[in-house]
Amino acid sequence: MRIFKFKRSLTLVAGSALAASLLVAAPTVASAAPACDGKFPVQTCGGATSDGAPYAMMVPANFNGTVYLYSHGYRNDVPLPAALSAATGFPATVTNTPQPGPNATVIAALLAKGYGVVGSGFARQGWNADSAIKTNVELVGVFKKQFTTTTKVIAWGESLGGFITQSLAEKYPDLFSAAAPLCMASDVTPLSTMAGDALWGIKTFFDPTIKGGNYSAGAAGYAEAMGDLGKVFTVIQTLQAAFAANPSTPAWPATSKVPDAIKGIPSRSALVMVALMSGVPMQSAHFDSTSAPAGLPAANALSFQVAINPAFAALENVATAAALGVLVTYDFELQAGGAIFDNSTTDYAARIAEEQYIWASALSGNSGTAGLLSVLAASPRAKAAPAAVEKLKTLGTHTGKVEIPTILFTGVADPVTAAGNQQSVADKYAAYYAEKWEAVKKAKGYKRPANNQLVLWNFPLEKYSKYTAAGAPDTSVPAATGTNHCNFTTSQYMAIADLLAYASTTGKHLSGGPLLTKIRKAGNMTYDRGYSAPKLKYYGE
Amino acid sequence: MIRTTRRKGTWLAATVLAVGSLFATSLPAYAETGVTSNEIKLGITLPLTGAASPGYNKIGNAMNAYFKYVNDNGGVYGRKVTLIQKNDEYSPQLSIAKTNELVLKDKVFALVGPLGTANFTSVHKSVGIAKRGIPSLFLNTGFSGFANKKTYPTSFMVLPSYAMEAKIIAQFLKENYAGKKLGIVYQNDEFGIDGMGAFKAAGIKFDVSVAYTSGTQSIPTAQTWVSQLAAGGAQVVVFFGVTSAAAPTLAVSAAAKYAPQWILGSVGADPITLRGLGVPLAVLNGALTLAGNPSPNDTSDEYVKQFREVNTKYNIAGTAFDDYVLQGMNIALMTVQALRAAGPKPTRKGLISAMESKGSSFASVAYSPLGFSKTSNVGHTGYYMAVMDANGDRKPFGGKVSLYTTDSGSGPVVLSTFKRPAMPAKGLPSNS
Repeated sequence: MRIFKFKRSLTLVAGSALAASLLVAAPTVASAAPACDGKFPVQTCGGATSDGAPYAMMVPANFNGTVYLYSHGYRNDVPLPAALSAATGFPATVTNTPQPGPNATVIAALLAKGYGVVGSGFARQGWNADSAIKTNVELVGVFKKQFTTTTKVIAWGESLGGFITQSLAEKYPDLFSAAAPLCMASDVTPLSTMAGDALWGIKTFFDPTIKGGNYSAGAAGYAEAMGDLGKVFTVIQTLQAAFAANPSTPAWPATSKVPDAIKGIPSRSALVMVALMSGVPMQSAHFDSTSAPAGLPAANALSFQVAINPAFAALENVATAAALGVLVTYDFELQAGGAIFDNSTTDYAARIAEEQYIWASALSGNSGTAGLLSVLAASPRAKAAPAAVEKLKTLGTHTGKVEIPTILFTGVADPVTAAGNQQSVADKYAAYYAEKWEAVKKAKGYKRPANNQLVLWNFPLEKYSKYTAAGAPDTSVPAATGTNHCNFTTSQYMAIADLLAYASTTGKHLSGGPLLTKIRKAGNMTYDRGYSAPKLKYYGE
Repeated sequence: MIRTTRRKGTWLAATVLAVGSLFATSLPAYAETGVTSNEIKLGITLPLTGAASPGYNKIGNAMNAYFKYVNDNGGVYGRKVTLIQKNDEYSPQLSIAKTNELVLKDKVFALVGPLGTANFTSVHKSVGIAKRGIPSLFLNTGFSGFANKKTYPTSFMVLPSYAMEAKIIAQFLKENYAGKKLGIVYQNDEFGIDGMGAFKAAGIKFDVSVAYTSGTQSIPTAQTWVSQLAAGGAQVVVFFGVTSAAAPTLAVSAAAKYAPQWILGSVGADPITLRGLGVPLAVLNGALTLAGNPSPNDTSDEYVKQFREVNTKYNIAGTAFDDYVLQGMNIALMTVQALRAAGPKPTRKGLISAMESKGSSFASVAYSPLGFSKTSNVGHTGYYMAVMDANGDRKPFGGKVSLYTTDSGSGPVVLSTFKRPAMPAKGLPSNS
């Protein structure tokens, strides 16, 4: 049996994109006017909007009148114990430090081109779409008042910030000239369902003491949630060690209470089941579900390709999804006033009806699949509080209806905001566009309405898994393109920024050869009308 | 997504693939993807390397050989047919990437003979074959699920389904081996689901069942399978899996001197490939197998004769003419008929329509009828039982071909009176 020694432990992806890098210090009290440092060639201004949310503005001396309003992603709204902070990449404390761009390099590049940048840290963390939208609208006014030569405001943001950006584009077409929701979250319920399913799957197969939601009020609930987070990590670390010791038939964690007969199925197959039933992608930062270490005999190589590599991919991605599941479930429950995850009527067999054929080997065949499904069918289900579910729906949804140019861009194998989020918004806009076109035709018009939505994808490469000379998976290398959460290059950010600038100026998207040239030069950006990302499982696929 | 330009099939579908290159397109002289005034471009994904490749890696070259033959004789309405092969190593995830290349980079007109059930399932879902309207002709898998025309409206099977095959074997078992202890080795996925479901429906109960997960086949695992069969006293063993699993099973049983009556399913029974994988001839001698086509050694068959000539002249030098080569050439022959049926100005829609309206009349080496129609994408529908001899050749059981046809459901297994269409003159279709 091949023994794998991982070059590096698997860690969650949250750190880089979910928890914002801290860029600009700002006052913590609201003030009528920004405090600017007056520096040349770029002056930085700080302040707070009326809700107390700190903001940062950076404007070059050669400001060209266009400013990019950036909305950052999800940040934890409760402090995390140090160990969990280190494991997740989320800060130990709650922070509302303002972030005017994706990262310092992109901000510098935009400033060098004469653009201004602005961003808030928002008044509260966690899922904050409603308040963040209001904050941003006010912030645009503050910026324009401070920099009166402002002519165009472009909105962009990532993850939850992508949700906020899409909402701004839908609701405030007069305020913004273009927008780009990146690696976006779409509707709250499907998103929380994916995270909840992943968490429930980990609980069901590997540690039934995980509470998985319906947390108690007050300090007790906080302790339960942090306890769950710790247990999720323990499960993942245990599985990682088991995978490394025996990738073909890794042991089940001691905390698992599935029947002994089920433990005859390799634990890796249960993890693949969790990924499939929740809709977590089967390509991860370091595992392509395709390749095998060099030097394996042909028969073993095929087994690694179709059974073991996918399990490693599931391990990386489910770890992230389940951990996020704890944080967002706790957050949403606090906001909604009760349990929000409900799988009491979920038919997991139907959910994987097609994928079980694709991943048959990884699931240990038909009998393995049937055995794992029997565990899911027999396990106690989670029941939500109806009022909380209704409240949750009010925390955010998109219509998809935009009248300004918007650009969607995401990694196809994003394990947090799965590509189905972007697809959902694309589908809604397609339906809206069809309505508009029908109306034109009904009025005996012939001119198609302007297409305001440009949808771009970042596909992972065919093969990208790396192995050490000894044949062990090497997870110390950077995450592959198209994988991980909001894993974009500076070139891709700048391509989006340039496309936004063009759309902002002309009122329409760059198209044809110039568009293709632009995205080719950026690398790993795909424009393909025919592609549809898998819908989120909540929608029944 | 929303169309933003005037013409379908121009640069709109262009994309930058993950490999990082741009595939900008221009408006071709003939406005259908993959078709120009002098070429029709087709694509196939299949395992060219790796454990699953033996035998399958000959299919694409065989198709190419036949297409070259057709091209040397005027092509299809003056257009040469080009086939692009992509190696998916039998990995479903890789099939997606390779098919994306075929569709987006190479801009093929249609897929022909894509191989593997899990592979095509993943491709269909992730590449959006139906949504894009891409014809996928002659899927090289017998999974009956692909017969669902609602789910797979642009796809067409060629092999009889695994369910049909199991039903025919079941009838044979009842007629010839009643009272014997029965064993089966089957692939524990949709392949096996199809087969086992049909066996069960036919009332066949196996005394020893060995399920293997695709990808685990090897000599050590085969030793456990054979041990189970022998310990259970199986006297007649059905092997319902792929060649790369059949070979170690047969080799191990020979070494263990375990000699049941083998009945090899159609998928894992090519004697040349089995011998190449180390199976002794002695084990094959007397083994029964399901077959839909004549033996590749039957030079009295007009199809075999013609294809062997094409193989000698156009295939890679030294390519042994076996079941895989025969199957590849036959798929190519049917493809040319489909392209001709689509007319001199072929479109993807037209090709699908031609398959539905004329596909059932295509000439094919297989003895059974084709089931194509507006409501069916079922290909061939029957098998006959054959027996292998000491040379590894295949002869009809009982001395003559007794072909049985059936469906994938509850329909009866019936002795067919179907008369196979003649091979087109010189092997060159002239249909329209």
